[in-house]
Amino acid sequence: MADTPEAIKKSIRTYLFIGGILFAGTILTVLIATVPALDMGAHGFDKWDCIFGLTIATIKASLVAFVFMHLNHEKKAVYWLFASGLCMVCSLAGLTALALWDPIFDSFFYSGH
Amino acid sequence: MEIPYIVTPRKDTGLFNAKIAIWLFLASEVMLFGGFFSSYVFLRLGADYPWPERTLPVLPGLINTFVLIGSSVTVVFAWAALKMREWRKFQIFMGITVFCALIFMVLKAVEYNVKFHHQALRLKDYSIIEGHLGKELDGDKKEVLDHNGNPIEENLIYVEASKLTFNTRRFHTPWLEELLTQAEQHKSTVKLTADLKGEEGTSDEGKIYAKSGELLSIEFLNRMEEIRKAATSNNAALRTTALRQEWVKAHAANPGKRDWQISAGVNIDLKALKPKMLTEISTVTFTVDPPAKFDFHPRDIKAADGSSRMRDDTVVEGKLLDSPMGFHHVDAIDFQYLVMKAVEKGIEPEIAIENSWLIKNNKFAQEAWEWHQGEIVKLKAELLKKGGLDKDGKPRLFPTHKELYRIGWKDFAKKTEDEGRVKLSSSDAFKEEFFGPNYEARGDETFPELSVPREQVGFAAKFSPAWNTYYGIYFTITGLHGLHVIGGALVLSYYLFFGRKMYLTNPEWLANRVEIGGLFWHFVDLVWIFVFPILYLM
Amino acid sequence: MSSHDTSHAGHDAHHDEHHHNPGFIWKYVFSSDHKMIGMQYGITAMCFLAFGFYLMMVMRWSIAYPHQPLPEWMSWVFTDGWKARWLQDGKVTGETYNMFGAMHGTIMVFLGIVPLGFGAFGNYVTPLQIGAPDMAFPRLNMASYWVYLAGGLIMCASFFMESGSAKSGWTNYSPLAGFADGQIVTQILAGQTQWLIGLVCLITSSLLGSVNFVTTIINLRVRGMTWMRMPFFVWSMLVTGFLLLLAFPPLEAAGIMQLMDRVAHSSFFMPSGLFTKSEGLANLSGGGSPLLFQHLFWFLGHPEVYVLLLPAFACVAEIIPVNTRKPLWGYKSMVYSVLILGFLSFVVWAHHMYMTGMGAAVSTFFQTTTVLISVPSVVIITAMLISLWGGSIRFTPPMMWACAFIPMFGIGGLTGLPLAFNLADLHLHDTYYVIGHFHYVVAPGILFGFFAGVLHWYPKITGRFMSKTLNHLHFWPSLICMNLIFFPMLVQGMAGFHRRWYNGGDAYLSQAADSVNIFGKTVVQYIDMNIMMSMGAWTLAFFQIFFFINLITSWKFGKKVTSDNPWDATTLEWATPTPPGHGNFLKDPVTYRGPYEYSRPDCEEDFLPQWVEPRRLDTADKPADKH
Repeated sequence: MADTPEAIKKSIRTYLFIGGILFAGTILTVLIATVPALDMGAHGFDKWDCIFGLTIATIKASLVAFVFMHLNHEKKAVYWLFASGLCMVCSLAGLTALALWDPIFDSFFYSGH
Repeated sequence: MEIPYIVTPRKDTGLFNAKIAIWLFLASEVMLFGGFFSSYVFLRLGADYPWPERTLPVLPGLINTFVLIGSSVTVVFAWAALKMREWRKFQIFMGITVFCALIFMVLKAVEYNVKFHHQALRLKDYSIIEGHLGKELDGDKKEVLDHNGNPIEENLIYVEASKLTFNTRRFHTPWLEELLTQAEQHKSTVKLTADLKGEEGTSDEGKIYAKSGELLSIEFLNRMEEIRKAATSNNAALRTTALRQEWVKAHAANPGKRDWQISAGVNIDLKALKPKMLTEISTVTFTVDPPAKFDFHPRDIKAADGSSRMRDDTVVEGKLLDSPMGFHHVDAIDFQYLVMKAVEKGIEPEIAIENSWLIKNNKFAQEAWEWHQGEIVKLKAELLKKGGLDKDGKPRLFPTHKELYRIGWKDFAKKTEDEGRVKLSSSDAFKEEFFGPNYEARGDETFPELSVPREQVGFAAKFSPAWNTYYGIYFTITGLHGLHVIGGALVLSYYLFFGRKMYLTNPEWLANRVEIGGLFWHFVDLVWIFVFPILYLM
Repeated sequence: MSSHDTSHAGHDAHHDEHHHNPGFIWKYVFSSDHKMIGMQYGITAMCFLAFGFYLMMVMRWSIAYPHQPLPEWMSWVFTDGWKARWLQDGKVTGETYNMFGAMHGTIMVFLGIVPLGFGAFGNYVTPLQIGAPDMAFPRLNMASYWVYLAGGLIMCASFFMESGSAKSGWTNYSPLAGFADGQIVTQILAGQTQWLIGLVCLITSSLLGSVNFVTTIINLRVRGMTWMRMPFFVWSMLVTGFLLLLAFPPLEAAGIMQLMDRVAHSSFFMPSGLFTKSEGLANLSGGGSPLLFQHLFWFLGHPEVYVLLLPAFACVAEIIPVNTRKPLWGYKSMVYSVLILGFLSFVVWAHHMYMTGMGAAVSTFFQTTTVLISVPSVVIITAMLISLWGGSIRFTPPMMWACAFIPMFGIGGLTGLPLAFNLADLHLHDTYYVIGHFHYVVAPGILFGFFAGVLHWYPKITGRFMSKTLNHLHFWPSLICMNLIFFPMLVQGMAGFHRRWYNGGDAYLSQAADSVNIFGKTVVQYIDMNIMMSMGAWTLAFFQIFFFINLITSWKFGKKVTSDNPWDATTLEWATPTPPGHGNFLKDPVTYRGPYEYSRPDCEEDFLPQWVEPRRLDTADKPADKH
């Protein structure tokens, strides 16, 4: 972690640079979503918009986490701590979604939820 | 003994206490927001109605994203300034951070306010109308005010009540006050229909608790409630004792038998008990003379002609009057849900729409729908030009469900602008991105009035969590996130305004605290990084 | 080998007192000292446990004698007005039974066992065992207690509302829980709503507490206290802290969403087309998913049961070595097992949901993880059992309870295995078998562990031993009654008795001789067990009185301890003065060895505490000279 004034000055430039990337990423996401010319895949909202949007969001979030929250300088323990939370969320979301996609009834006969 | 490692990190872990704590807390916050995001996924995938895709104005969300990212950068600069012992710089950057939080919350408040005033209505045939309700106007076109001094929205149930029956245990005092006020406004008296007296054969036989003609008042019903409580307590105690005695007798008469074998024959002798019981007055009926037109919120009453029941079990007898829902400005007509239901039944969407109540009964809707179909033809041609045909000869790109079947406010605006009837200044148009359609500037040609008879009303709500699960999860996630913004801003402001003393005595401690606060702030930004695309752009 | 001299009052103690002499309120009420907070948690939790117990006693009357009015010895606590409102001719109604049932579960789990295990034992003992002067964040600790108390009081206040308390099961599933008490106009006065508000308070309290615990254990271990020298108790508390930290927030999310369903009329968990008798078609948008609530609830629900269990494991694991005079067998395996258990507990939750229409893939996944999770539990309990082998067992009061814990928890755990399997669970879900299983784990299991803990640490807290005689009067009847109550439940459950019947199965008994009521014929064979079980429950209640008498009178009249380490134990909490003062240790202890150094061949005494300096090898005391 940056402790000396020189190191801090250097990281300030990094912070500004990362901030710029975050701004750009946001604009890119909005453009992909709103400008018809940039619409990949089918017209309107489809899985590609979802994938692009979430990928860009994940990259932005990782930048904030690793650089702004200095997770990449932090002790391993902290990193694993935070990662454990993420793991658990993925298991919650993933397994819950799996339950939705694997019902006991054949969807042809059962259209309710 | 001092608690160690508050400021200086512990050697083997390399961390001071608060840093571990904040990361633990952030892990739990990941779980909290993760829970909400999982719910979002689950609700969206499992929705049995057309999910409102890309339904929110993007600009406020986008500005908020920039504001939060900017504040993330400035909070790090503030911490860096503190580490380099530059107090002034710290103040400036922290001040900007807190100011950004303020901008965020103001924009959020604007967004919420606009939504909470916007009305949505699903008709019985599943077509959806959106807009703003009118306000009740008197003969001079001035707003009528209710007994609290607020204007009344044109979404009330009107009953010409001749009788009111109250449940002495459940009546809701504020509603009672409202009824009394309204009766007074209509110059009707509400009086007891018949004497309230003790039942025949009971211990208070003939006793008159209230005489017919006595006026309704809160005090009166409270008194009845007390009487009822006393009576039920007394009777319950009597019946319990009697039942106990019956069982003693039954057990003695049936030795060795189980309870369930003899229970059918164990009964209280109500006839014998009756002389000792008190009369339980559970309902009290009042006559409204002359019958008055009462108004009720649709959520509070289950209206039916002849006899309507309020949620506190007050029964309002009388004629159900015309209680239409009056839209002052309709700004969207949405047939997506109707089409979804029609397709499930195997009916062609266009036919279903042609047969909807709106198209059959409202000229504006007819014209709008026809115009819209023209627009769709144009859109299809454009998409055909852009994407061409696939190998089966079908167009590769086609309009979305929403484009086909929803006429939003921007469509209505475009229609009148294309027809040359309305032109908005660019600043007004810009403001529409925040405050919704500008009804005054665009006028009644764009957003006309519409009155919907109560029989057609299926479900109505503002753009609030009640309207659908999309708004439910939207308000919940952004609301909770907003609370975190406020919390974080408060903590950072504390260091900004009250940190000077700590800066002078133990600056490293303050730097640590600000770092912890900053970590929380970054997390708030991190959540928003996901919230924005998921809720606004998808 | 003398134990560390802890009884001299150096100038440190004087300095402390001079520097930190709070008034009565700050010392006893709004204390930020972990020991006082631990005791506050303990006393409050015991009060809630007693209250939950009482609710159960009334429920058992309804089950055993559904047609008879509540006897006076039970009904005297209620006011006439309450009885008029909630009892039918003095009999327990279905609605009242549901109220009591839902609150019994909620109070026992959230207000009783977790605060007792984690809040009371955890708070008191953990900093002492790692040599810390207090928790990392003492004021946060205090906040955690008061928020817990507030949440608990809100939940219990709901009994006095017009709507009554929550009544939709402790699991509070939507849509029932979303619209029960919906007729109350001011929703904040509805029992169901108050339950949710109380729950949010409790979750907040747990989160604050768990952050404190994990930070303390990571950062405040004293010099020499490496990870593998920590007592198993501390490992358990660490894992419990993580479970609470990561598992509670989704339930908070679910609680907030259900609260919005009730107050803001949203439809997170309300399906389309909901129709009720009182309202007809519900005035809601619909489109929600009741299953979503179940997923979010059980995502907490399963780690929650390990939150209940691990503190009891912790207490028993401490007591066994002390009373067998040999080290805990398989300490390392136990540590790894508890870590794996913690991790696995997050991915087994849907075994509570086998009956929700899950397909083969999902149920196979959860079946597999559930069976896997039994392995670490078995490792831990087996290690405890093996620890007894070859030990010089002292049947002190704590040891009696610890020894009873092992088979009782064993039965509880083993009866869980059929429930892990999808196919068997088809028959057993929502039957009394489930109730028998989890009560075996919690009541004669976890609670016995806690009684053991109280008896074990009482001398450190008060300087006196609890009475052995009163303990016998408490222990033997409790052991017998627990089995009398819960074993027949396993039998009834297999016969198909549903877990939420308010009349014990009475409704299924047909009087007609020619009735084709096959189920009734099964019910009639086992329905008489209800009476025996209820008698067991009321007897159990009676004998708990001896525990409370013991707890209170031993404070003044118990046999005094003669040293700071009356059990001759090895862990750091016994290096403090009795009772430990503010800051706990007179000077920072240093840890030189593992936590269970008993019966070392090179020691004269049969124990070598963690804090005692090692003898230098260059002194005259050579091992050969000492036997």
